[in-house]
Amino acid sequence: MRSLLLICAAIGLAGVCVAQDLHVPDSVVAGDDAVISTTGSGDATLYLLGPGISRKKDVSLGSDVRISPQDLRHAGNYVAVLCSGTCRSASFYVTAAKPASLAFLVHPSRVAVSQSDAVSGVVLPFDEYHNLVLAPVGINFQMNAGSTSLLSRPARTVDGVAWFRTTSGKASGIVQVNATLDDLSARRAVQQVASDPCNLRISGQRTPAGILVQTEPVHDCAGNPVTDGTIVTFTAIGANGKSTVDAPIKQGIARAQMKSLGATSISVASGVVMGNELRIGAQP
Amino acid sequence: MNRQIFLAVFALLLASSFYSYAQDAAVQVQLDSKKAGPRTVESLTERGIVRDYRLAWTSMSRALEFNNPDSLNGSFVGEARQWLRQTVTNQTPGLRQKYVEQGHRLEAVFYAPEGDAIELHDTAQYRLQLMDGEKLVYDQPMVVHYVVLMTPSSDRWMVRQLQAVPEF
Repeated sequence: MRSLLLICAAIGLAGVCVAQDLHVPDSVVAGDDAVISTTGSGDATLYLLGPGISRKKDVSLGSDVRISPQDLRHAGNYVAVLCSGTCRSASFYVTAAKPASLAFLVHPSRVAVSQSDAVSGVVLPFDEYHNLVLAPVGINFQMNAGSTSLLSRPARTVDGVAWFRTTSGKASGIVQVNATLDDLSARRAVQQVASDPCNLRISGQRTPAGILVQTEPVHDCAGNPVTDGTIVTFTAIGANGKSTVDAPIKQGIARAQMKSLGATSISVASGVVMGNELRIGAQP
Repeated sequence: MNRQIFLAVFALLLASSFYSYAQDAAVQVQLDSKKAGPRTVESLTERGIVRDYRLAWTSMSRALEFNNPDSLNGSFVGEARQWLRQTVTNQTPGLRQKYVEQGHRLEAVFYAPEGDAIELHDTAQYRLQLMDGEKLVYDQPMVVHYVVLMTPSSDRWMVRQLQAVPEF
């Protein structure tokens, strides 16, 4: 800059040759104000470019230009250009403020019990201006079924992200999944439902219309009642051939009326699970 | 006469589509997803991200050059869309920003277990030009590091967070 002034003085143009310069802050926290100081004399134009801002302003060289917190809410790279004849530029960064909210993604919303690595959660801390907080922070993940704790796992964010993955609990019902950071927390609910049926058992009896066959109350291997609507397939093999009936579980039990007059063998299955086989004699 | 008008309109549309294609093609994007986890980035996903990130920068450049916030709609959501719209709509009349000679080196650093979010580090190189009317007041080559969050929508990946940082 000194050489520029010397050149200006040497050619006798000091009155019109303005050696302006600007100084920007090293770093600013989002939502704080900042000052861009200028040197030189005379009028100039200051351009400020950054996330959310693209502005031109007339300034007097030698004065400080205050940038309001409103203009520095978004984290990112800002470029200031000061023009008075020639242009000078400088850039600075705005960084995220302290965490003010947590974005919490939990999957799935409905899961069968006792499934390995079936529940996962991702948390991203944001400041009050919705900037991603990249400085590492500690997150505590918790999963509770009523008063029973299923998971309590501390994690630290890396690049603004922390996550967990775990096995679903053993009992069906609502599970609360929490992520906490100091006094901030986010909560999600996961519905745990019974897994595949276990120990399918059927009983049957002759009726005037054929054979009425029904399951015992259907449970998974952990004893949770299997969700109503789950399909149970009954297969009857008799003298007349083979017939199949798909019946949904209603109030824990699946029923089917099968038409067969002769001796019949009936089996039951749901998904990949087979149950017992029933033999019913011919109609007298 | 009608034929001449038709030809003129056709030529204009053709030129416009070529311009758009040329702008899009001018944005170079490379993605390295080897370090991404916990979920592995499949090659189809990789291609989709490269395609949509390139489109996002093309849209952003167009929005800031022509002061057209609607260009942002198909590629940005959430906070990224909000601040970009704000930049465009509040831009002092007469000012235009141009991002030229763009090259983006992306590294996937986190891919959510269920594939519903991906975090990328973009080492972007471009010339940022600022026009005040017809006057070029700033023209500098820049290397800027961006932390990017993208989330999938029905048919593409959208940029949800685009945040420049001094370094990774």
